[in-house]
Amino acid sequence: AKADADLGIDKKLEITRAPRAPRVKLDEDRLLSANGIPKLRAKAKHHLKFKGKGHEYSDASRLLSFYQLWLDDLFPKARFLDALAMVEKTGHKKRLQMMRMEWINEGKPQSSVH
Amino acid sequence: ADGKRDVVDPEVRAYVSSLVTALGGSGADEDGRYVLGDDALACLRDLKKWLKLYDEKANRLDVARCLAESNLVGGDLLQILAAWPENATEDRLKSKIALACLELLVPLTWPLEKNAEQMTVNHHRHIPYLQIAQLGYKRSIINYDGARILHTVVRCALPSMAEAMGDRSTRDEGIIKLLLYFLRNIAMIAPPPNVQYEGDESEISRSATIDAFDYQDIFHLLLTVSSTMGEDFNTQDVVVLDILFYLIKGIDVDKLFVDEATADNSKMDELVRLRKKEAAILRSSQVNAPTRHNRFGTMVWLQREDAKMTTISGQAALTDSTRSLAKMDSTKKFKPPRRALKGEHGPMDFDTPVMLNVQANKHLRRFVEEFLDSGFNPLFNHLRKAIDREAERILEYHPRQFFYLVSWFLDAERARRKCKRPSKSQKDAAPEDLDSFSLVASVLNQEMFVTLNRSMDTSFENKSWQDLSAAMKCFTQILLTVQEMSESPLEEDQEIAENILNRIFYEETTHDRVANITRTYKDQGFGYLDSCTELAHNYLRILEQYSKQNVDLQVRSRRRVRRKKKAARAEGQDEPDDDIVDESDGEDEARAERTSHERKFDFKRFAARFLTQGCIDTFVTFTAYYNDLKPVQLKRAHRYFYRVAFKQDMSVMLFRVDIIALLYKMVKGPEGLDPQSGTHKEWDELVKQILKKCTRKIQERPELVVEMLFSKINSTAHYLEYGYEKQTVTSK
Repeated sequence: AKADADLGIDKKLEITRAPRAPRVKLDEDRLLSANGIPKLRAKAKHHLKFKGKGHEYSDASRLLSFYQLWLDDLFPKARFLDALAMVEKTGHKKRLQMMRMEWINEGKPQSSVH
Repeated sequence: ADGKRDVVDPEVRAYVSSLVTALGGSGADEDGRYVLGDDALACLRDLKKWLKLYDEKANRLDVARCLAESNLVGGDLLQILAAWPENATEDRLKSKIALACLELLVPLTWPLEKNAEQMTVNHHRHIPYLQIAQLGYKRSIINYDGARILHTVVRCALPSMAEAMGDRSTRDEGIIKLLLYFLRNIAMIAPPPNVQYEGDESEISRSATIDAFDYQDIFHLLLTVSSTMGEDFNTQDVVVLDILFYLIKGIDVDKLFVDEATADNSKMDELVRLRKKEAAILRSSQVNAPTRHNRFGTMVWLQREDAKMTTISGQAALTDSTRSLAKMDSTKKFKPPRRALKGEHGPMDFDTPVMLNVQANKHLRRFVEEFLDSGFNPLFNHLRKAIDREAERILEYHPRQFFYLVSWFLDAERARRKCKRPSKSQKDAAPEDLDSFSLVASVLNQEMFVTLNRSMDTSFENKSWQDLSAAMKCFTQILLTVQEMSESPLEEDQEIAENILNRIFYEETTHDRVANITRTYKDQGFGYLDSCTELAHNYLRILEQYSKQNVDLQVRSRRRVRRKKKAARAEGQDEPDDDIVDESDGEDEARAERTSHERKFDFKRFAARFLTQGCIDTFVTFTAYYNDLKPVQLKRAHRYFYRVAFKQDMSVMLFRVDIIALLYKMVKGPEGLDPQSGTHKEWDELVKQILKKCTRKIQERPELVVEMLFSKINSTAHYLEYGYEKQTVTSK
């Protein structure tokens, strides 16, 4: 009871601020996650269809909205063009470059001679 | 003063103002005439001493501030100068007093520089006030009613200028310099970029300056000095350069050289054109505007995969999916951090356009023509030599001014030729009547190329982008002039042009430099972006033309050389023979065919340097300004993309989502190009072709879907374009 008499004034108050939530970034991890480029590739295979000659602009518009919706799912906070710039930037990272090479090589005709 | 704390030491203020009072004044008993004080000359000299020994020595601006507050310039100096009549030039005392006035005017109008390292508290306190005061000085000097002040000031220096260069004393040289610096200061004073001038802008505008220079015969002085540069004048070249720079920076050459008859028409056309442009903007915004009032409250669901919904408000979303997606995008708040664009905003800025009124336009045009006829070669030749030798008087910013002015005057010379041509309707005018390009020959020689190349190299290395921008402008104009020369009917001009082109064509270091500059644009500002794309465009275009030069033309030029040699031999001047002389026509043709073949191949290799992602990004950044670009600039971007996609067959480099989005937006909007303009049609065609290729390529090679997101390295791009790896690097 004695200890409570001074109302705990002498006790050192510890101010702890909760650490700020880390900022969400559009980095390689996010880009290589299931929602990222793998999903883009899968979707492109099934959903991206073009009409061809005479429909250049509508095809382009379809293509652009395809990318826009994918990016909106992946990284909803940034605008389309900003997000594109961010993705482009991550493309210079080693890991992503290796993945890109791999994806391209998958599409190449398999040659037996190496 | 007024009992408040003064910004200036009261004792200093007392001394200075008592000097100003003692200088003289006007009163009712003299009918308002200005009467000099008894010891006016001594007062002027004392004031000068104050400026020198207090302000300069102690690095303060207190005296200048006091003088500005006591209206010394408008109230005394100009009155004294005005009271020096033309016929009293012989009067020793009066001319001494006039000179003393000039000696005060120069430091008072001297440009105030703000460099953070050397500024003291006093500078921060006084400079804003003094900048405004200087505008007042300029206004009262060039608009003075009673007399031609500038002309009067010139009279101070006439005796010194009349002396032969060798006979001038140091004092004479000093007086001439004082006069020229005064003119420089007057030309240079302009409202600082962040300040709104409260008086009538038109009284201190560029037009007013030009009118005053014309009316007060300053242009004559400038012409005399620059046309006798090297004979009668020597070290004054840099000041003349300064004056010219501040007179003509930012003025549009094409507007300067419109015919007076068409000028009125073009004013009307301009209005009509602008109205049309405005109508187009209105139209496009009306198409997108809601048709109901703003609280109509439409809300749309966008069905996404996995049973996800996105809500979008507003009627725009109802009509089509593109716009609903645009709306969805525009409501996002997040903005990634961005770097501000660099660029010059101080007095050295030459990218901000300046408008002239009709009167000033006429005056300046006459001056420019006379300058081209008489002053261009002597002045710029002299300056180039000084720059090469790194003379002491050449300051850091002089090369920049030099290159900018050379480019400006070359442009003006071409504009003048274009103006003249239609009036000379008979095409078969004798070749002697035609002007050769010798009027601007001093900047087309080999020495100039050396200077220019070196300057471009060093400024690129030192990252001084404004210097580089000026040098690039200069190079572009030289290229354009050379190209026009090669089409000249005069054989000599043709020959010179051919030699120059030949040298440029095989100079690999220049190729690399131009490509490197284009590749590395980052945030140097729009003026720089404009200069570097312009250079790249013209460089490519002119070299392409050169490489295509048909066999016929080359045979002809060889024949011409042979004819000359023969003539020379016939005259008996036996020179060591070249191999050309002894060849026959048949050999000529075979040889010409071979060289033209080689050139074509060389050009292809050279043009490939401009296919890197960096170059493409630079042009994309440039194109993103499409709504503010002039038709010529849009054409520049158009030609570049056309070259990438169809001439060099590397359209894959353009297949990146942001580029496609930009191209799509340009044509289809919203905020696209005006659908009724000619440029829209051109772009429509190009973009359609690119899009067609793009969709076809995606179907052909599904891996492009991923690569569309990224910059491609050349080997990947080559594989995507052709479907196989590049086997070998094409050897030289």
